[in-house]
Amino acid sequence: MATAQDKYLSIFVTEAREHLAQLEGELVRIETEAEGPFGLPLWDSIFRKTHSVKGSAATLGLTELVDMAHAAEALIFKLRAKGQRPERGQVELLLQATDTLARLVRRAAEALSAGAGDALPKAKAEAAPPVTGADLIARLAAAAQALPDPQPAQKLVRAQIKAAIDPALPRYRVVVQLSAKCQAPGARALIVQRKLKALGTLIELEPPPAQLMQTKGAARLTADFATARSAEEVRLACASVPEVEAVEVRPEAKGVVQGQPATHGALAAPAATAPVALATTTPPRGTPTLDAPELRPDATVRVRADALDQLLDSAGEVLLGIARLREASRKLPEANAGHFEAEVDRLRRTARELHGKVMNARLTPFSALTERLPRAVRDLSHRLGKEVDLEVQGAEVELDRAVIEAMGDPLSHLVRNSVDHGIERPDERQASGKPPRGKLSIAARRERDRVVIDIEDDGRGLDGQALLRKALDSGAITAEAAGLLKSTALVELAFLPGISTRTEATDVSGRGVGLDAVQRAVEALGGKLSLRSQPARGARFTIDLPLSVSMSNLLLVQVGGEMYGLPLPRVVLTTEYDLSARGGEGFDSRSVIVGGQWVTAYGLAKLFGLPSLAPPGPRPFVVLEVDGITFAVAVDRLVGQEEAVVKPLFPPLDRVRGLAGSTVLGNGRPLLVLDPRGLAEMAGVQKTAPRPARPPVKGAA
Amino acid sequence: MDIVMPYKSGIDATREIVQVDPGAVVIMCSALGQESLVMEAIEAGATDFIVKPFRGEDVLAVVKKVLGE
Repeated sequence: MATAQDKYLSIFVTEAREHLAQLEGELVRIETEAEGPFGLPLWDSIFRKTHSVKGSAATLGLTELVDMAHAAEALIFKLRAKGQRPERGQVELLLQATDTLARLVRRAAEALSAGAGDALPKAKAEAAPPVTGADLIARLAAAAQALPDPQPAQKLVRAQIKAAIDPALPRYRVVVQLSAKCQAPGARALIVQRKLKALGTLIELEPPPAQLMQTKGAARLTADFATARSAEEVRLACASVPEVEAVEVRPEAKGVVQGQPATHGALAAPAATAPVALATTTPPRGTPTLDAPELRPDATVRVRADALDQLLDSAGEVLLGIARLREASRKLPEANAGHFEAEVDRLRRTARELHGKVMNARLTPFSALTERLPRAVRDLSHRLGKEVDLEVQGAEVELDRAVIEAMGDPLSHLVRNSVDHGIERPDERQASGKPPRGKLSIAARRERDRVVIDIEDDGRGLDGQALLRKALDSGAITAEAAGLLKSTALVELAFLPGISTRTEATDVSGRGVGLDAVQRAVEALGGKLSLRSQPARGARFTIDLPLSVSMSNLLLVQVGGEMYGLPLPRVVLTTEYDLSARGGEGFDSRSVIVGGQWVTAYGLAKLFGLPSLAPPGPRPFVVLEVDGITFAVAVDRLVGQEEAVVKPLFPPLDRVRGLAGSTVLGNGRPLLVLDPRGLAEMAGVQKTAPRPARPPVKGAA
Repeated sequence: MDIVMPYKSGIDATREIVQVDPGAVVIMCSALGQESLVMEAIEAGATDFIVKPFRGEDVLAVVKKVLGE
């Protein structure tokens, strides 16, 4: 029944989540930045977000949310007025309030998805105050009570400015459109603000420059401005600022009633006329105003994530369909084939373009991953009695949504790892001549079609030699393999399952469990994890990721009547080898000669416990390489090559060793994609020194 | 002027320059992600800014705009 209500509730849930996530980050920032130049705007932003959550919750009748937000808002209001650095306990309370609000929003979301019709009443019913809620509200109120009543707040100052302005002074609404190429809209807005202040009295500028600091690209500034100068003078001054695309200076109507008809007229005006008015000079009174929605040059719409996934799937399907069409065209008589193939090629180019565009639309900023980190680092370091400064760079770098989603756990694992194991306690740090506050920096940067993320700390680092001893003792590697490792790569032994230099486990990052999981996750995305570290100097993890992971080239092979995909980038070559003369199909491992080197070969069928259906005689081998380890797997048949959208496996399949993901082939058949690293582990492939073979018996490409 | 320089930050330098010559035109150059520093520099009196990496014509465009006023 209440579909409209449901719609509002769903919008509320989306927006409240965004606000709360940002609120969390801002609360952590205010702890250090309250007394800096952006302290006040930051408080403003915190206040606005809390207020906005409260307001929309109120319209939906979510009373518990309203109460909590209200209590938080009251404390924020007084802290903002005080303008000083808030105490840790006060921020703690506000963070708890944010958590509770997030929980309440989640409950509203669950109620929404649970039942269509009665979602709202249910949400209300379930929002019965939990014990912590009432208690927290009381503590927030007490904290607010303890603070002095604020001096005249910003709003009052603004009102005073308005009152103090000579009513005879002409008032203008100035709208400045910043170019989409603008690299730093916040700084740009600050320049515009200064220009205006030099010409008259700036009553209000929306959004305030500090609020644009985290954004990129086009932005629209609206100023409420009083000046004795002419509109043209104001316009020219703003237009002389670089990266300003358009300026509109509109005399402000004296009264609301008078102003409104013009706005309505604008909304009804044809879409085409409005942008023209913006791009040219000051429009005369009464022309369409900038309030027309079609004026936003890069308007955005919210698209459900799964809609984008489906779109990508469909684009992938189109590509596969075209591949099959090409295949089919080979059977056409010569005379018709040429023309047909040319058309198919053209279609394929268009489809690739489409696919690329969908991929682009799925790009998500890295900040989606880092937004919650300041809070996590703060809480964790306080719990461990450590002081850690977190620095995030490149939050604007964009990655495919699938990569962002898959990187959440690995990234927070590495961060936890650094705070827990890497960075020392302040006394320990001072004893070794370091500043008491540890530094953790996360930096993402784009390098052509890859994104590189560095997670670096200045903690105690890892001891490569100690790791080597551990690895040898536990039998994780052989002495022969150890001899091949470069000294800088010794620390990467920490990636082996069960290896850690720590003897005692902590509840934070456990003991040696995890770095191998991080590595697996990174590699499942086609990325690479590396580590450089020096004892006492710190450690740097580097994650090198492809921009998008969705499309991969697969080599299709058949084993035991089933088809599997192998990621082509891992395939060194394929070759044929006849083993029947040497005893056997059911072999565990065999050495074959590839390109003049001995390479250990394993039966893929045997590894998976499948029957091999290959007839005796020469059979195909796929030579794979993972991390410098080369090995071969025997298959029954090489089927071909295909470009496919590989999806991660869902539980419990994701626990099966040797599997990387799944995809659906053009003919609708599902296909499992194998994970060469997992295969190597299953087979127990040892890294051995390459040993030259006698003249190769048979090697092929 | 670069925001990050040895010995003295571009922000401090700008502050001092503007104190000596309030009419001085200072264009900051910054790397991506230094926006809060750029904003500080502008509050300190920098006229404008340009974000690295930039091309010659980008610099020319900013200089023309800034001096053309």
